[in-house]
Amino acid sequence: MLAFIVRRIIATIPVMGFVALFVFSLLYIAPGDPAAVIAGDQASPADVERIRAGLGLDRPYLVRFAEWLFRVLQGDLGTSIFTSLPVTQLIAQRIEPTVSLMVVTLLFAILIAVPMGVIAAWKANTWIDRVAMAFAVFGFSVPVFVVGYLLAYIFALKLDWFPVQGYTPLSAGFGPWLENLVLPSVTLGMVYIALIARITRASMLEVLQQDYIRTARSKGLAQPSILFIHALKNAAIPVVTVIGIGIALLIGGAVVTESVFAIPGLGRLTVDAILRRDYPVIQGVVLMFSFVYVLINLVVDIIYTLLDPRIRY
Amino acid sequence: MLAAASGGLPAPALSQGANARTLRFVPQANLANFDPIWGTQYVVRNAAALVWDTLYGVDETLTPKRQMVESETVSPDGLVWTFKLRPGMKFHDGSPVLAKDAVQSLVRWSARDPMGLMIRALQNELVAVDDLTFRWSLKKPYPKMLLALGKNNAPCTFIMPERIAKTDPFQQITEYIGSGPMRFVRNEWVPGAKAVFEKFADYKPRDEKASWLAGGKQMLVDRIEWVIMPDPATASAALQNGEVDWWENPLSDLVPVLKANRNINVDIADPLGNIGAFRMNHLHPPFDNVKIRRAVLAAMNQEDYMRAIVGDDNNLWKPLPGFFTPGTPLYTESGGEILKMRSLDAAKKLLQEGGYSNQPVTCVVAQDLPVLKAMGEVTADLLKKMGMNVDFVATDWGTVGARRAQKTPPGQGGWNMFHTWHAGADCINPAPYTAVRGSGDKAWFGWPNSPGVEKEIETWFDAASLDDEKAAIARLNKAALEDVVFAPTGFFLTYQAWRKNVSGVAKGPLPFFWGVSKA
Repeated sequence: MLAFIVRRIIATIPVMGFVALFVFSLLYIAPGDPAAVIAGDQASPADVERIRAGLGLDRPYLVRFAEWLFRVLQGDLGTSIFTSLPVTQLIAQRIEPTVSLMVVTLLFAILIAVPMGVIAAWKANTWIDRVAMAFAVFGFSVPVFVVGYLLAYIFALKLDWFPVQGYTPLSAGFGPWLENLVLPSVTLGMVYIALIARITRASMLEVLQQDYIRTARSKGLAQPSILFIHALKNAAIPVVTVIGIGIALLIGGAVVTESVFAIPGLGRLTVDAILRRDYPVIQGVVLMFSFVYVLINLVVDIIYTLLDPRIRY
Repeated sequence: MLAAASGGLPAPALSQGANARTLRFVPQANLANFDPIWGTQYVVRNAAALVWDTLYGVDETLTPKRQMVESETVSPDGLVWTFKLRPGMKFHDGSPVLAKDAVQSLVRWSARDPMGLMIRALQNELVAVDDLTFRWSLKKPYPKMLLALGKNNAPCTFIMPERIAKTDPFQQITEYIGSGPMRFVRNEWVPGAKAVFEKFADYKPRDEKASWLAGGKQMLVDRIEWVIMPDPATASAALQNGEVDWWENPLSDLVPVLKANRNINVDIADPLGNIGAFRMNHLHPPFDNVKIRRAVLAAMNQEDYMRAIVGDDNNLWKPLPGFFTPGTPLYTESGGEILKMRSLDAAKKLLQEGGYSNQPVTCVVAQDLPVLKAMGEVTADLLKKMGMNVDFVATDWGTVGARRAQKTPPGQGGWNMFHTWHAGADCINPAPYTAVRGSGDKAWFGWPNSPGVEKEIETWFDAASLDDEKAAIARLNKAALEDVVFAPTGFFLTYQAWRKNVSGVAKGPLPFFWGVSKA
């Protein structure tokens, strides 16, 4: 297993290299000019040119790429064109809100979606199943921002149960931290609940047809024990896969959710950087996300072996 | 349930007294950088006005008044200006404000500011005479000196310590030390999310009553938090909920909701408003032909543009048959008849006379800025009604910003038309108004060549009386419309909104925090 993990981590290097080249090239050919954004609307073309030269954006592609790659290899993601702050510092400032949002969303979604999928499979083709799957379709179909505005209107503006916006660091206390995350997590979790619940149901339906389940029932095991201990473990592989894939969805959804709830996370950092053409920030964030995806896939592969001892690498 | 569950946990809120001393403000945009000379965005200027003081400052009558300067003298021939600073002023790092700081700050400012560049071109020397006195001697009189030093247009003459002001004006400063009424709390700055300012205890306000950038800048709160909210609906909800106190620029669609809330005041933000505009590229067909440019002016109806921007609120817009800000001394409608025609027939006739042969008009429209998107759609419709062949390029502002600098033909990455708007404060006279220049290759994007405009700008700079200034501007306005330097789409205002427990909010070209208190 250790050799497998080491091999996989080493395999990330060419992947990251390809991502670096791809992102850099994409930004190079993309329209837009950070110098024009910096210079402001009243600036003359000469001002814009001088700022562009000051930022080094007038130099050839290969020179810029080589310099950037050399710095990245030394662990330096560069400096934001706009804020003059190191990209690593900008990412560090934003990572806690995004990770908090993702963790709470993930926990919330798994705690709701897995039991929902299991029960829907157990009660397949009954009204319980139909209600659960209707909810799943609804959750998957309604855009994140609509859910966000709706929840904010009802639970923040009308009922005053939660704040409308913002983020409180965990260091300020668990209660305030969670209070700020409830609405965004529910908003973001809707799609995720729908996805996991449907996969769980489908996988469970297949497992519940197996002989060993019939044997368990004939031995008089309690229904919860059959469903959640014997069946769910064997139905979990696709569920774990979709949770892993779903983290990519979460990061995408976090961009919108962070904007709607004014959470200073990585999603907003990325969008702001793209709109301003802050190339070092975009490159740094995309590289980091790519690395996270690679790690998530690794973790998912490891979890497979824990759930199914037949799987060996 | 969660609220109940969290009841016993540490409360995040400040105590009531501390809360009243902290003002939470939603600015118009993200404070992405904080060098008011390097980056001339309005949001940077607005934040900088808290941290850096200026030598002079305009008041609400647009008159420059002494601010950091105690006195000034000018030689009878108008060539030598001598300025004396107020004694006892300190920077946020505790060091005294000296003449050498002002000199170096002016050196940096004058490399970036249009008026500063003009003074620089006339300069003999700019030197510190003693700790509090500096002298600026010129080769030719510059009657608008005090306006240049006190104007509110970016970049303002923000005074920094000499060592910081030595930074290349095209590179960002990395220390944010001023002598203004608030200091910047750098370690709490999260670009894109929050910027924090704390009261500077050693600030010595002037004795006069505050008026815009002039007078005594008395801070009545200890801390100001700028909360960046990209989503207007969220900002609206946060203001209604009391999570923020003051919102600089509510979206007009949300204003009725805010007006209906008894805890919120809504009023005009800046009486100088904004001037909507689109620019035609004078370098390439079809708009290299003045008749085609005039055809567009003759056809357009400014009301269409203004309603697309502000909706049905008639208090928020005015037609603008000219280029200068309504209600200011130099406002004129001279030559504005063409903008009152609103005649498609006249436009089609001009198109025919101009020999328009169905060339595509590449209209580059930013979709991420609602004002520009609205104007772009009106223009596209107008051009189609005129019988023009419109190539509507929907993109984002970042792309427009880059593409508009391209002088190549539209088919090779260039453009024929883009939309923008100008703060009315920048359009009160020609000094900061780069968009109205007609200096051809050196002019703003679109590169209009209008010798008549350039001649009258020079006349205005040399004018000795307000009457002479007005006469020059009337001729300038006429020439600019004849040559169609750009197309003004109208004058529009925006609202600001604040909680009723906040008092002292003033109308002006930027949010003035001095005199603002919170109950």
